[in-house]
Amino acid sequence: MPANPAARRLLLLAGAVLLALLLAGLVTGAIGAAFLGREPLLSKPEVHLAPQPVTGVSGEASGEHGEGPAGLPSGFVLTNTLLSSWIATVLLLLFFFFATRRMSLVPGGLQNFAEWVVETLHNFVQGVVGPEYGRRFFPMIATIFLFVAVNAWLELLPIYQSLGFKNADGELSTHLLRAAATDLNMPLAIALVSFVFVEYWGLRAHGTRYLGEFFRVSSFWHGIRRFSPGLLFQGAIDIFVGLLEFLSHGIRVISFTFRLFGNITAGEILLLVAGFLVPFVALLPFYGLELLVGFIQALIFAGLTLGFVAVAVAPHEGEGHSEERG
Amino acid sequence: MGALGFHIPSLIIYLVNFLILLVVLYLFGYKPLLRMMDQRATRIRESLEEAERVRRESEERQAEMQRRLEEARQEGQQFLQQAREMAERYRQEESERARKEAQAMVERARSEIQREREQAVEELRQEFAALAVAAAERVIQRSLNAQDHRDIIEDVLKESEEIGRS
Repeated sequence: MPANPAARRLLLLAGAVLLALLLAGLVTGAIGAAFLGREPLLSKPEVHLAPQPVTGVSGEASGEHGEGPAGLPSGFVLTNTLLSSWIATVLLLLFFFFATRRMSLVPGGLQNFAEWVVETLHNFVQGVVGPEYGRRFFPMIATIFLFVAVNAWLELLPIYQSLGFKNADGELSTHLLRAAATDLNMPLAIALVSFVFVEYWGLRAHGTRYLGEFFRVSSFWHGIRRFSPGLLFQGAIDIFVGLLEFLSHGIRVISFTFRLFGNITAGEILLLVAGFLVPFVALLPFYGLELLVGFIQALIFAGLTLGFVAVAVAPHEGEGHSEERG
Repeated sequence: MGALGFHIPSLIIYLVNFLILLVVLYLFGYKPLLRMMDQRATRIRESLEEAERVRRESEERQAEMQRRLEEARQEGQQFLQQAREMAERYRQEESERARKEAQAMVERARSEIQREREQAVEELRQEFAALAVAAAERVIQRSLNAQDHRDIIEDVLKESEEIGRS
């Protein structure tokens, strides 16, 4: 409690307002409504897994889309998630544009903040792969982190829940904006980029030997030539291990995709349901939680990519130090 | 997959979007920022080194000055000592010379006095001898032969010498 009486009064007032809002939320939300036998303040949330198109949406068209999780048309469609990802992109670009517009050796304001962000990420990357690779990997890792984090945090803006198109019944059925990561294609796109990034650096660091990690036929070949069953058996195991390695690299893409997709989608649903049950105050902790989740998912996506690429460029066992051959 | 929202055109757009973001951020965000940070790190390191260098130099200079001051002080002390010694020597020499001169003067005066006195005595003796001869002539009133004359004169001279010595 602050000693200043004016501050104390303000704090008490704020607490009272919060409490009143919480009570109002309890009464008007779905929980209170069920007890009192009234309609809840918010309509029951609909969960769409697939993103919804926002172009050419008239009342009827959106009604059509709102009815079921029908697939999107085969051509290009501007979906709400895509729009949201563009907003995130533009925000990031604007941020860095203004941060680097009038740079000075003595940083101030936005430049200071941008430098803090860049330096923190840069230290993170360097801490894992060292200064030499740190500079090369940094842009990719930082961009993944920033893009995922900003997209996840944008979702928490109120306009994401409230802006949209009404269907024939007058209910909000198509949101104008939606967290980009709830669109499966967005995490998948980043996962593919991450995959190509990792394999590219693996190939660049080790040349064709990198592919040898996946097709380990050499000891099997020895076994055939020498008619040694032991060698043949070991060769078979080697081939199997190589196949597993090959599979694991592919599976990374899927796990990347669904980890981000699942977390952000679950967060969205959690917020929707919490808001439906108790519209005020009580869902604030969930917003805090989602802030944390957004940060952690961004960190995981960037960190795992960094980890994979660090493993891919690390000198292999028994290979000696012939990394620069390729 | 359709139910989950998998959609090839969207995927391609997201890919392109992300790659554009990557390239633009790299060119206009990370690169200038990292360059600026590197520059700053270099500048700070250089400034620190410069400051260190200046500090060391000034310390050296101060030590040098201290050393010179000490030298000058010692030199001054030495000069002073020399001057003092010289003055002392000069004083001694001068006094010695004065003493000798005085002694010489006294010596000269003494020998002069001696000479004058002897001269006076001689003159007195001759005068006295003549006087004695005249007196004796008058007393005796006779002329003596040469031998007697001489004897008497000798006697008188002897007496007079005794008188003169006493």
